[in-house]
Amino acid sequence: MARVIGGFAISHSPSMGYEYDKGIASTFDPRWKVWYDGLQPVKRWLAAARPDHIVIVYNDHLNHFTFDAYPTFALGVAPEYPQADEGFGLRNFPGLTGDTDFGWHVANLLVRNEFDLTICEDMKIDHGIYSWLPYVTAPPWPARILPLAVNMIRHPIPTSERLRKLGQAIRNAIQSYPSDARIAVIATGGMSHQISGARFGMANEEWDREFLRRIESDMEALVAIPQEEIMRIGGTEASELAIWFAMRGALSEKVRRHYDFYTFPQITGCGVVVFDDLAA
Amino acid sequence: MREPNHSLDPPDSYVYTGPMSTAGRDINRFALSLKVPANRATFLRDEDAYMRTFNLATGTIQLVRARDWTALIKAGGHLQAVLKIAATVGQNLWHIGAHNAGVPVGDLVEACPRRVGGLPKGL
Repeated sequence: MARVIGGFAISHSPSMGYEYDKGIASTFDPRWKVWYDGLQPVKRWLAAARPDHIVIVYNDHLNHFTFDAYPTFALGVAPEYPQADEGFGLRNFPGLTGDTDFGWHVANLLVRNEFDLTICEDMKIDHGIYSWLPYVTAPPWPARILPLAVNMIRHPIPTSERLRKLGQAIRNAIQSYPSDARIAVIATGGMSHQISGARFGMANEEWDREFLRRIESDMEALVAIPQEEIMRIGGTEASELAIWFAMRGALSEKVRRHYDFYTFPQITGCGVVVFDDLAA
Repeated sequence: MREPNHSLDPPDSYVYTGPMSTAGRDINRFALSLKVPANRATFLRDEDAYMRTFNLATGTIQLVRARDWTALIKAGGHLQAVLKIAATVGQNLWHIGAHNAGVPVGDLVEACPRRVGGLPKGL
């Protein structure tokens, strides 16, 4: 059967992608060079881990879905996931390659495990994935991607506990996939940030670092925090941190922290934590 | 500039809820149509005519014409949708943030990251 080899959780933001393109074309803004440099060990980890598939739990920002039909959980099952045009035009990257056999397997297992999600045969991917992806790998993308989108932009959003359970259900699905595939799980959501209102640009490094520290072996304490409390101290969009629980929930109790890094370039806490799963 | 605090209430924060989504339905539909490049071009040729096809009230059209990002958000426009309008007219997230915070864009850029501390209660 397939196995979960490890994974990481990482922040995303539109400016992360924009600054990458600018940095590669000429020079990095010094604040973003810190993030670029800080992600080099993640890039090396991903290359060495050689995953065949990567499950990515992320959130869309009204770039593929609209409120005409906005799913709380949506799984892409398609051979390819094109990049979404967010209004500024497309960036110079190819679409993500999918694997429908693996996708349908995960879809079946998740629904059987009472995660009745929306299955999407067309899913365009926004900065939720594209902003950090080029920092940690380069095209042609090294693994087949299975994207799972979670509503984080309109309340009610799913609870932290629900996302932890989603991670466990993803693990069960992977472990019953009849293949010897190596599978990584990545979750992405911004750490402390707020991008509207008079608190625009607030930055709570104290909280972000506490979160990074505790997610390894004290996730229960984090999951127990009311989401409103996280929004209060970390900004309204810090609720996206709940997505990180899906990654941690997909890994076993026996993990080794391979690496972590944190910086606050402009308006979003940029953190990453990488785990090897030792249970395999 | 109003210092960031721990408040989730306006004008510090706008938590986007279901009722806001209902109130902003037409604004969001119009704004998200601008993800299509051809629609962006049509809008830029005649903003009013394009917006009228989305059933927007005259007052709402005026808010867009005035680039009144804060009023659009208060009327139920989602930040991510309002951002599509801003992008189409050559502005970006900073312009929306500065409008919300009531300061010039340069001042906001200069102030960020706006540091706060504190951990959630009970942790």
